[in-house]
Amino acid sequence: MSTTTGTLPGKFSVLEPWVEDWALASRPERYAKRLTKTIDELGEFYDAIAPLAEEAIAYLDTFEVNDLPEAETRLLHLLYSMIMVSYPVNIFKQPRIPDSGAAFFNATVEPAI
Amino acid sequence: MSSIEKLATGRAKYTLDYPELGTGPVSYEDSISEEFYQAEHEAIFRRTWLKVGRVEQLPRNGTFFTREFRGLGSIVISRHTDGEVYALHNVCAHRGNKVVWQEHPGEESKGSARQFQCKYHGWRYGLDGRCSYVTKRDQFFDSLPDDELGMPQLRCEVLAGFIFVNFSQDAPTLRDFLGEKLVTELEAWPFEKFTNHWGFKTLIKGNWKIGIDALLEWYHPAYVHGRFLNADMSKAEKLVPPMDSYHYDLFAPHMLTSVPGPPPLKKRTQSVGPAQRDQDWVYRLFRGGIFGPDDLPEDIDYLTPERNPGNIQYWSNDQYWLFPNLSIQLWHRGYYITYQYIPESVGTHSYEVDIYFPEPKNVTERLGQELVVDSTIEFAMQDTNTVEATWSALNNRAQGTFHLSDMELMIRQFHHVVREAVAAHQAGKEK
Repeated sequence: MSTTTGTLPGKFSVLEPWVEDWALASRPERYAKRLTKTIDELGEFYDAIAPLAEEAIAYLDTFEVNDLPEAETRLLHLLYSMIMVSYPVNIFKQPRIPDSGAAFFNATVEPAI
Repeated sequence: MSSIEKLATGRAKYTLDYPELGTGPVSYEDSISEEFYQAEHEAIFRRTWLKVGRVEQLPRNGTFFTREFRGLGSIVISRHTDGEVYALHNVCAHRGNKVVWQEHPGEESKGSARQFQCKYHGWRYGLDGRCSYVTKRDQFFDSLPDDELGMPQLRCEVLAGFIFVNFSQDAPTLRDFLGEKLVTELEAWPFEKFTNHWGFKTLIKGNWKIGIDALLEWYHPAYVHGRFLNADMSKAEKLVPPMDSYHYDLFAPHMLTSVPGPPPLKKRTQSVGPAQRDQDWVYRLFRGGIFGPDDLPEDIDYLTPERNPGNIQYWSNDQYWLFPNLSIQLWHRGYYITYQYIPESVGTHSYEVDIYFPEPKNVTERLGQELVVDSTIEFAMQDTNTVEATWSALNNRAQGTFHLSDMELMIRQFHHVVREAVAAHQAGKEK
């Protein structure tokens, strides 16, 4: 395992500035964060993580999915957040889903990991 | 000719196969009338099997959860010490207090318990509803029927792991109600292996049938969801399969549609290349999208001969509609989704979306699931906003009738079946 000086696995330390906002454990937190950001801010996060995403997935695949250490779990949460911002950045060009009005879904159940 | 155009079969219009439906304009008075809502409640919801959950929510003896159904009541679903699933009216035999709740009596709850204890005067019940202890019994009278005291049981049956209840004692059994075809085709899917579960719930300002209508046709995707497909509408239209490529089976009161979709990506053998602001790149990176994950679970044995009964090309999923308010979608790419619409008033319903995958074997599989869930919910939120817009417009009665194409035959059928059920119940009462 790589040594960790920050909160992420060492070779992904360039993503440290994004941990506070985007290493969020639950989908409702990630969706709420998305709505607090401008589309430019979402784009900056996307552009920071996307070039590292493929390597991060390959790295995380060397661990047991149900037994990820803390730093690796944070990295996984960042990838979940990349998915959360991908539709706004690539398609909607705005944080909200177009024509979603007041629609909001409460998450009642989600996996522990 | 694009590959999607090749899915066209050239078959004649589907609606003509069901002459009882006609082809004329329809009224949506059934979706805005308070009087019809009350009649529908009595004729359908008080005497039809309703899904209330799944057996995975009751993993051990002594576990329970509650459901709050406005207009029908609060019920407790439990697994008793005998291992059986029970559904109980959530009401104390003493003075009618709600027995099972935490903090807020109007909110649903879950947990495990050896017994339920009423918060009012401490009466206790087994998880089968039988009253096991009356506090200060000696202060009551000989008229207290100790052996008969209990939280009243509702009829409760389980099929393919789905728990159903029925508020009527006279209804046919669940299996008779669903029929052999539906029972066989549902039981062929190994639901118990799909335990990685996401659940979503929202309250929609619109009649429950208008909510269901939004998922009953393949006319809207290029318009409501156009931007997901292509910013250019004429290109988006070409990405929706032709109308004659679907399969429909309207076995009243239930129905089935089978839907085509793109084949999964090939196994990953090389890099997806430099990062791009392009959702297709994201789909390739995370190996998933609105039609499911690209890496199919091969060890789960869910692709049985019962799937794709209409034998359509590029089969993506079978969407079963269980009357009155439940859709179960079984997907080729190895997951299933349920959609349920629970009326709360003529103009509101609770909308529940539940998505179930097998347990992921690695991070790649887990991320594919995340992308599928995210895509499904982004689409669903657009649909619900359209439902609210439709209902608010319908409700002023500026237009009296509406026009349904062949693409909307399931909407025609669904409203027809609801009206028939109400009429049959009312005719029975008049006899």
